[in-house]
Amino acid sequence: MPLALLDALALAVTRRVAGALPGDRRAAGVGAGTELAQLRPYAFGDDVRRIDAAATARSGEPHVRLEVPERTLTSWLAIDVSASMAFGTADRLKADVAEGVALAVGRLALRHAGRIGVLAFGAGEPRLLPPRGSKAGMVALRRALRDGVGTDGHHEPGALGDALGRIGRVARQPGLVVVISDFREQHDWTRAMGNLRARHAVLAVEVHDPREGSLPPVGRIAVVDPETGQRLEVDTSRPRVRERFEALEAQRRQTLASELRRLRVDHAPLSTDEDWLLQLGRRLR
Amino acid sequence: MSVATPMAISFAAPAGLLALLAIPLAILALTASRRRATRYAVRFPAAATLAIAAGTVPAWRRFVPTGLALAAMAALAVALAKPQHTVAVPVEGASVVLVTDHSGSMAATDVEPDRLSAAQQAATTFLGQLPAATRVGVVTYSDGPDGTRTPTLDRDVIKQTLEAQTAAGATATGEALQVALGALAPNGRAAARPVSAIVLLSDGKTTSGRDPVEVARTAKRLKIPIYTVALGTADATIPNPVSPLSPPIAVPPDPETLKQIADISGGRSFTSDDAGQLRGIYRTLGSRLATKHQEREITSSFAIGGLILLVAAGLLSLPRVGRLP
Repeated sequence: MPLALLDALALAVTRRVAGALPGDRRAAGVGAGTELAQLRPYAFGDDVRRIDAAATARSGEPHVRLEVPERTLTSWLAIDVSASMAFGTADRLKADVAEGVALAVGRLALRHAGRIGVLAFGAGEPRLLPPRGSKAGMVALRRALRDGVGTDGHHEPGALGDALGRIGRVARQPGLVVVISDFREQHDWTRAMGNLRARHAVLAVEVHDPREGSLPPVGRIAVVDPETGQRLEVDTSRPRVRERFEALEAQRRQTLASELRRLRVDHAPLSTDEDWLLQLGRRLR
Repeated sequence: MSVATPMAISFAAPAGLLALLAIPLAILALTASRRRATRYAVRFPAAATLAIAAGTVPAWRRFVPTGLALAAMAALAVALAKPQHTVAVPVEGASVVLVTDHSGSMAATDVEPDRLSAAQQAATTFLGQLPAATRVGVVTYSDGPDGTRTPTLDRDVIKQTLEAQTAAGATATGEALQVALGALAPNGRAAARPVSAIVLLSDGKTTSGRDPVEVARTAKRLKIPIYTVALGTADATIPNPVSPLSPPIAVPPDPETLKQIADISGGRSFTSDDAGQLRGIYRTLGSRLATKHQEREITSSFAIGGLILLVAAGLLSLPRVGRLP
């Protein structure tokens, strides 16, 4: 991964989630930080290192200085590991792109003492790794990615919506949520996405393959849906079928884009046949 | 000459029917190939969209070309067995004599409108059903045979004779049958004419003249079958001719004797108590008598039908599937 590009991406991501960075938002309670929250008389049990010399001298009583706690950025990665992600006809699989995006975003999120939590959904029981910082966070992310995508024939309608809802419940502090999926979901997930957007900065990374948008005329082929197991024989040499397929797929992606725009969610469509990192940076800038 | 055996299909080379076994084999091969085609299906996440784009073809329409091809196979396999169709062809020079009773009991109205009229109408139907090349004679009788026409091709004469009858007198069935036999076999020898038959219609017991059963034996010897029709219901009566005040006379038919006549002479007996039924019997007799059954090979129609089905299956499946089924 080119470091310069990653730095540029870091800037972009930071700007996106600036609202959740320290100093911009008041955290609940008091703790360690740089900004003064209050000065109060020393009580038994207080850390003596927190005694403020100036205040104590002026008042003649020992005072402690309490600060606004600095909150680190917690990022959540919702990674689609359903069987449909194991598809790719260009340079790599959709799952490869998802993995790369997850690693790039994870590396960025772990900077500046950030933490990342991972939720892998779409292949049976969703796998939730609680937020961890630094190396532990990277290890957890790599471990989650190592398991790869789910097996064929496992169909889980509503997995995306459930995953978003779950992140909304466990992510207490405002942060960044990155959803990496092909958004090939029949159930409505927009409501969960809207709820998530109310508290967090959300980035939707849509991974697709050029073959999913158009078919070449290769005659009669039998296709099977990896998730539902639906089999059908289609004559791809018929122009009408190809045109209708292209129109339907274009319409589906257009609906997805407009839906994300309506929810004010950042949308980064990535294809398997292009330099996805460059594309991700360009999209976020 | 027989009345039975409806049109049937027989096979000159029944071993050819073994080719029909190829059909289940073809079905097995087809399902196997289809399963193989879908087993190596391409994984495609957008399959749901593609299914909508391709549209749904009703299941039965996908099997139409296959079904046609299988039907073609069946037709060709049957053609291999050389099927034969049994057809009735008129016999040259056949003669039939109608022996019709017009005794007093024929005035009974248990058959609509009355027995005699019903018999006349049925006989007209019979004449219409006979092949044109068949000679028809008629013997009408009551006390004795009175109207006699030797077998002729002129149907009008026969019709006139039949319509000239009035219901009166006794029943001399034996005498009438003897006259009919004389008309068919003038020399008293068998096979004077190639194919002959007598159709006897009577509604009662023989009351005068010779015993009809004896005449039936003669007919048997001359190889002339007598087809008998017993007309009327068992409880039919006619008004007493002596005085209207006297009790009516019972005129039940005599199906037993008629059956005996038919059995002895090699014909068949029918009973009828209804004008429509009577006409049906006569129509059947008219289409069966004086005809013989011949087997005609119909291999070519099966072969042509099979080829047409094959071409239709190919035309239907080519644009859709891109290959023959």
